[in-house]
Amino acid sequence: MSVRVQLPPVLRSVMGGERWLEAQGNSIAAVLTDLARRHPALGLHFFDEQGAIRRNIVFLHDGEMVRAKDAGARRIEQGDEIVLTNALAGG
Amino acid sequence: MGVALVVGTKKGAAVLKSDDRKNWDVQFQLRGWPVTASARDDKGRTYVAVNSENYGVAIFVSDDLAEWKQLAGAPRYRPEDRGNAEHHRIVSQMDFTGLLKDGGRFVDQIWTLHWAHGALYAGVSEAGLFVSRDRGESWQPIDGFNNHPSRDSWTPGFGGLGAHTILTDGKNPNRMWVGVSAAGLFRTDDGGKTWNPKNKGVNPAVDSAPASTGQCIHHAAHDPANADVIFRQEHRGVHRSDDGGDTWRVIEDGLPVAELSDGHRCSFGFPMVMDRPSRSVFVVPLDGDNFRFPRSGQLAVYRSDDGERWRARTKGLPQNCYAGVLRGAMAVDQQSGIYFGTTSGSIYASSDLGESWREVASGLPRVMSVEVCTT
Repeated sequence: MSVRVQLPPVLRSVMGGERWLEAQGNSIAAVLTDLARRHPALGLHFFDEQGAIRRNIVFLHDGEMVRAKDAGARRIEQGDEIVLTNALAGG
Repeated sequence: MGVALVVGTKKGAAVLKSDDRKNWDVQFQLRGWPVTASARDDKGRTYVAVNSENYGVAIFVSDDLAEWKQLAGAPRYRPEDRGNAEHHRIVSQMDFTGLLKDGGRFVDQIWTLHWAHGALYAGVSEAGLFVSRDRGESWQPIDGFNNHPSRDSWTPGFGGLGAHTILTDGKNPNRMWVGVSAAGLFRTDDGGKTWNPKNKGVNPAVDSAPASTGQCIHHAAHDPANADVIFRQEHRGVHRSDDGGDTWRVIEDGLPVAELSDGHRCSFGFPMVMDRPSRSVFVVPLDGDNFRFPRSGQLAVYRSDDGERWRARTKGLPQNCYAGVLRGAMAVDQQSGIYFGTTSGSIYASSDLGESWREVASGLPRVMSVEVCTT
């Protein structure tokens, strides 16, 4: 199924300024895997050396915040939108 | 002569350009990416390393210092590589959810990029060495270094376990040196297959550290055309080797000596660069490992012309500076130009081997790296 993913500002520079990307998958983790396959440069930022979703990535989906550790279990539906963001800290 | 500086900061890259080394144009690029290192290859392509605590490590390239493209390849360890638990503890400040896995080895920062003999090398943290022979598109680990037999004895420094300094021999592509905090300097003579610690004559970082692999090297410099004469800024002082690192001796005549936290007295600092035509070496001493700012606030660059004695150069540098200069934040253009950035975001430039200085940019984020190229 097709969904839309909003990139955070810092990752848009990897994609030539694109804010929204189309992707396929029935879970948030599957969507990230699809994006990484289509855009390997972006994939570096999603997955660490052991194939895990980077631990500080956070998703907003259907009005809820989803942690990286729960991305595999989070089911999504055709036409859903996922906001990809991250833990915030520092000055 | 035109000069361009690529200044890596905590929040992006500042590109400074000048046609006369007096008037500078500053453009802030790669916004949002911590930029930790940069290098330029012999065809004029510039590589910068970024590392985000959220999104990991990557490399951007540019042929004009204006448009940047991220490469799909980057140094990465294999899933089966085992990591250093103490290093994990040091670098896991952003592990809000406590998911940092025990056991794995991750590239969490590229400390240095180095172009030599048609290859691009990356020194990384957790300490390791990688090479790309296709201009950064793909990377291979140098296993002889990354799985060194002494690795279990390597102890992370204050900033973690990082390979931050790479030197190469201009005449012998099989010989190179890599500096690791806090395991010391290593040399290969067979193109990276085997490596030997080169720390004889250098005090370990702490008295309890291993004698051969317990040194906290901060930086090193040499002339690749005369590669066996190497200068080394250590946590515990400034040293020189005339035999490719086999033996070392202290050279601190004229340098300010500070008391370190453990009572040891030596000249403490981070960056070290060499102007090859003059063979002059430059360091920026700080007031020991407790304070890490210039003594009495006088920012000073020390220059040695004979590799033995040092003298301060302060003309044009501030007298009330309590910032530091990080190991990668100083560079030379090999035409008498010296440049460095501070942790408080100022860039200083000299076009006369450090005799006089000018602040050419200020208000930047914390400066982590400075690379220079002539145009």
